[in-house]
Amino acid sequence: MSKFAEPMARLIDELKKLPGIGSKNAQRLAFHILRSSDEDAEALAGAVRDVKANLRLCSICNNITDGDPCSYCSSPTRNQRLVCVVEEPTNIAAIEKTRHFNGAYHVLHGCISPLHGIGPEQLRIANLMRRVQDGQVDEVILATNPTVEGEATATYLSGQLRRAGLKVTRIAMGIPVGSDIEYTDEVTMLKAMEGRREI
Amino acid sequence: MALKESEAIVLRTYPLREADLLVTLFTRMEGKIRGVARSAKKSKRRFGGALEPLTEVRVCYNEREGQDLMRLDSCEVLESPLASEVNYPRAVALAHVAELLDELLPDHEPNDAVFRLALAVLAELRERDIWLPLTYFELWMTRLMGYLPDLSECIVCGHALNGSRAYFHALADGLMCPNDKRLASSELSGESRKLANQMLHAPVESFSELSLQKAPTADLRKYFLQILQRHIEKKLVTAGMLEKIDR
Ligand SMILES: [Zn+2]
Ligand SMILES: [Zn+2]
Repeated sequence: MSKFAEPMARLIDELKKLPGIGSKNAQRLAFHILRSSDEDAEALAGAVRDVKANLRLCSICNNITDGDPCSYCSSPTRNQRLVCVVEEPTNIAAIEKTRHFNGAYHVLHGCISPLHGIGPEQLRIANLMRRVQDGQVDEVILATNPTVEGEATATYLSGQLRRAGLKVTRIAMGIPVGSDIEYTDEVTMLKAMEGRREI
Repeated sequence: MALKESEAIVLRTYPLREADLLVTLFTRMEGKIRGVARSAKKSKRRFGGALEPLTEVRVCYNEREGQDLMRLDSCEVLESPLASEVNYPRAVALAHVAELLDELLPDHEPNDAVFRLALAVLAELRERDIWLPLTYFELWMTRLMGYLPDLSECIVCGHALNGSRAYFHALADGLMCPNDKRLASSELSGESRKLANQMLHAPVESFSELSLQKAPTADLRKYFLQILQRHIEKKLVTAGMLEKIDR
């Protein structure tokens, strides 16, 4: 038998399903919600419902959006012929922060991951290939993570995209700005040397 | 609380809480261990690329009294899979090596033969096509785990299989002659048995001249994977992924 009343136990169980939330944290959050005002609790429930009801994937780039196409895909001031491929929707914010990229995006929602049984056929790339084959794209920038899985994904995509006669580039890997070469591990250093440029 | 140091191969990582990673390592000193890398997910500064699967590292870790989980103190890269190009077949091959080591090795049992095998095969996977090193790895894992049956005689009648055809079956413990083969058996060709014998007597580097596509060792690989999967009592995820690669 649960030591909490049924509605409380149910809320704790639901919260426990969230990433990074264990039993203790779930209890803490549940009691916080119980003690909060009716309006605050209703606002939280409403926001959860709203996110599911009103957000969907952009049919062009797979970004999460409330209108289709998303704001990046429908912007007349962005260069729609330059497409940056990222693993997750959250990666877009990191690139937007630079304020130097004015192209469009394509979100894969994951990457090739053999240990999880995810191969190329599970990647969301059909709509990217359609954009490319329709001649809507001049260059694709592959901005997947600099990990084994991210690299495998980039290598696979570059093979597919090059076949369509496209310019394909990979973001540079190397030493973080403001750090010290002395403390750079050898793989990062190797990648930095490979990715050097003329100045 | 003692600080330990060992050469190791990173097998897998799982996100743990907000910012930490749970890491499975195959250490030379203590065999397979699990440890927590604090803040590894958020701050890459401390561990960098050292926790990528199949990285060879020098790891320092703390053993905590009465706890199965170690605390990883530092991890220095000795050899990274990211130093050479990672194409899709190679990524699957690396994941296959990691999955086999993770599934077959018991916790906290050093196994230097398997460790040396893994290092040698990982080195070959940097240089060349994946199929020969993978066949070699599966053969030797089967052997070193103690599951490899005699490849030279029929398990039913005991007759030598030299010159005769040989068959295997998912539920049989060894090879069978044409008279004793079960229904729905697969054949293990004479060339494959010859190659397996050569592999049992020479290091993986000595086959570097031999460039193989997938097909010639497909029967051998199917045989070893059947044996291994029977012992771990589950299907290997990466075995299915390898099957779908054509060349
Ligand atoms: Zn869009
Ligand atoms: Zn027989």
